Amino acid sequence: MLLIPLLGSPLLAAALSWLVRPYRRWVGIASASLSVATFVIAILLARRCLDGAAIVLGPMEFLRADSLSAVFALLVAGGACVSTVFGRSYLDRERSDGRLGEDRLRRFHALTNVFIFTMLLAVTAHNVGIMWVAVEATTIATAFLIGLERSEGAIEASWKYILIGSIGIALAFVGTVLGYFDFVARVGPTDGALNWSVLVRVADRLDPDIMRLSFVFVLIGYGTKAGLAPMHTWLPDAHSEAPAPISAMMSGALLPVALYAVLRWKAVTDACVGDGFTDHMLMIIGALSVAVAAALLVRQAHYKRMLAYSSVEHVGLACLGFGFGPAGLPAALLHLLSHAAAKSTVFLLSGEILHRYRTTRVSGVSGLLKTMPLAGGLFLAGILGLLGLPPFGLFLSEFLLIRAGFAAGYPRLTGFVLLMVLLIFISLLGHVSRMLYGSPPEAIHRGDLPAARYVPIALSLAILVILGLVIPGPLASLLRSAVEVVYG
Amino acid sequence: MSVEIFTTVMTLASSLVLLAGIAILWRRSLPAYIHAFARQSFFIVVAVLVLAARERDRELVLVALLMFALKVVFMPAALRRVQRHVGADADVRPYVNTPVSLAIAGILTLVAYAVAQPVVALSHLPTRGGMPLALASVFVGLFIVASRRSALSQIVGFLVMENGIALLAVLATYGVPLIVELGVFLDVLLGFLVMQVFVYRIRDAFETTDVDRLRSLRH
Repeated sequence: MLLIPLLGSPLLAAALSWLVRPYRRWVGIASASLSVATFVIAILLARRCLDGAAIVLGPMEFLRADSLSAVFALLVAGGACVSTVFGRSYLDRERSDGRLGEDRLRRFHALTNVFIFTMLLAVTAHNVGIMWVAVEATTIATAFLIGLERSEGAIEASWKYILIGSIGIALAFVGTVLGYFDFVARVGPTDGALNWSVLVRVADRLDPDIMRLSFVFVLIGYGTKAGLAPMHTWLPDAHSEAPAPISAMMSGALLPVALYAVLRWKAVTDACVGDGFTDHMLMIIGALSVAVAAALLVRQAHYKRMLAYSSVEHVGLACLGFGFGPAGLPAALLHLLSHAAAKSTVFLLSGEILHRYRTTRVSGVSGLLKTMPLAGGLFLAGILGLLGLPPFGLFLSEFLLIRAGFAAGYPRLTGFVLLMVLLIFISLLGHVSRMLYGSPPEAIHRGDLPAARYVPIALSLAILVILGLVIPGPLASLLRSAVEVVYG
Repeated sequence: MSVEIFTTVMTLASSLVLLAGIAILWRRSLPAYIHAFARQSFFIVVAVLVLAARERDRELVLVALLMFALKVVFMPAALRRVQRHVGADADVRPYVNTPVSLAIAGILTLVAYAVAQPVVALSHLPTRGGMPLALASVFVGLFIVASRRSALSQIVGFLVMENGIALLAVLATYGVPLIVELGVFLDVLLGFLVMQVFVYRIRDAFETTDVDRLRSLRH
């Protein structure tokens, strides 16, 4: 019964935001509170799925959540919770500055909640066709959110995003149709033929050639949405032009949701093909993404684009983990959880920096620690987390990833990726230190938001630190049973 | 209807679908693109109706009707309206000239045949001959998006691609389950409407729909 409130609360928030006219401040508060509730429900869902249990709901088991769904629901709901609660500061300011009218505020809240709903639907839908519909719907919901400010840059970014995103996702549908075709040709048309639990169960009767072809389409298609190179070209534009709370959710939550879709198909394809086919594809595309991110980060002059390319790096690392077999998968999932915590933090704070310095250029920002001591300090902590330093979660997950890579017998590839990660480390640290230190511009206003506003960010950094020190027992069993879902 | 005639009709319809897609590559005006898209959609509707009659499948009739309303009537009309509003921004200078475009379309069709070969080999359906043609339409649509400069032409390219996929689903499996089909229709419609809104915004911000002018973010 947890699935109804999980999907219901963002829907309720969306309906409230849309129906209450004109916009009232309490709607924003209600929307943020509902996102906290959604996060709590996601935690309860994860607790239920710890030991490999699955929750089903609806005719033909329309919704089905198992431990793998729960990991991603946690990540989506957590990212959404931090972004909407902290996002209230962003919205209040935009409103008092007169840049967002009542009408756009209303639309912002409604679409943000629809966006959260579609992500949660994608990870709890049982039917891979419905999963596809939900992922496609995220594109539609977010296109307007990116273009909220209607600057030339925002319009350009939204156009690229919706066009490339729609094409990518259309290719993923070709993959879905091919998978369904294989099922119908080999097993016969039955109810629930597109339900992934059914697909996995009969996978050994499917035709391996078709499944390989289907997986290629799925990987290219959902890989476009996940920002994997070379289909990542829309990502730096969209993530840097979107309002900060939306960038935070698109990077921390939406990219992993697209990877979730790949994982579901990987489970089916592996059970059918049986060799390392999907692993090799994932490793190639993952390593390529890390390398492309490294190359483009060296001379990156804009800090939001810098964070966007860092997302390309981290989805690439997660992809590698997916390719490294049963030891790599939990490391990759852990990596995505930590990345969500770190990346939402820095993207949300980048909105504060942008508002204060009025520029997206690294060279235009200096003395951040002096102008905004609290926000600057948290930003530094988030960046150090992203770089994979201890005691942050990404240190542990990257360590586990690298170890899995060597253990799986890919020392050269893993070594290469390690080198790229090191390169990214150096260039990112260089850019960020330029922003943090030095003397701030003369005319700039000094001071932070009220400290209480930073609580959601501090909490998400606290989670990041906990994930770096120890994998809590329940999380460990959740990850273990998620591995069983994929590798059977 | 005998199997031979049915097979011929379906393959013929698939060929016409691909041909309508390729026609866009040699036409030079947006109204012609829109017309070719509407015609392509119409051929798919015919194919779905023939299949529905043969299989006595009510769901497929519903799919055909929806497709007719959406892709033959509504979308072409909406595209024409947008085109009138944003002005005669005809796509006279695509990135790739006509002879090269047609040669590429030919290559894409060959690639589609190569890629679809295991699919055709596995299928026992009389419609299997059309599957490479449907896949070729997908690739041609992709090429249209990549090679045209006007935002509206890119939308048409996307819709051609979407048509190819719809046809592929019909030929390969006699249609995906209805619930998925409805979700796909909803997504395509909403995606189309959002794209349409952005065409207006691009025109308002840049005073053209030539996406080649959208280069402020390349750094």
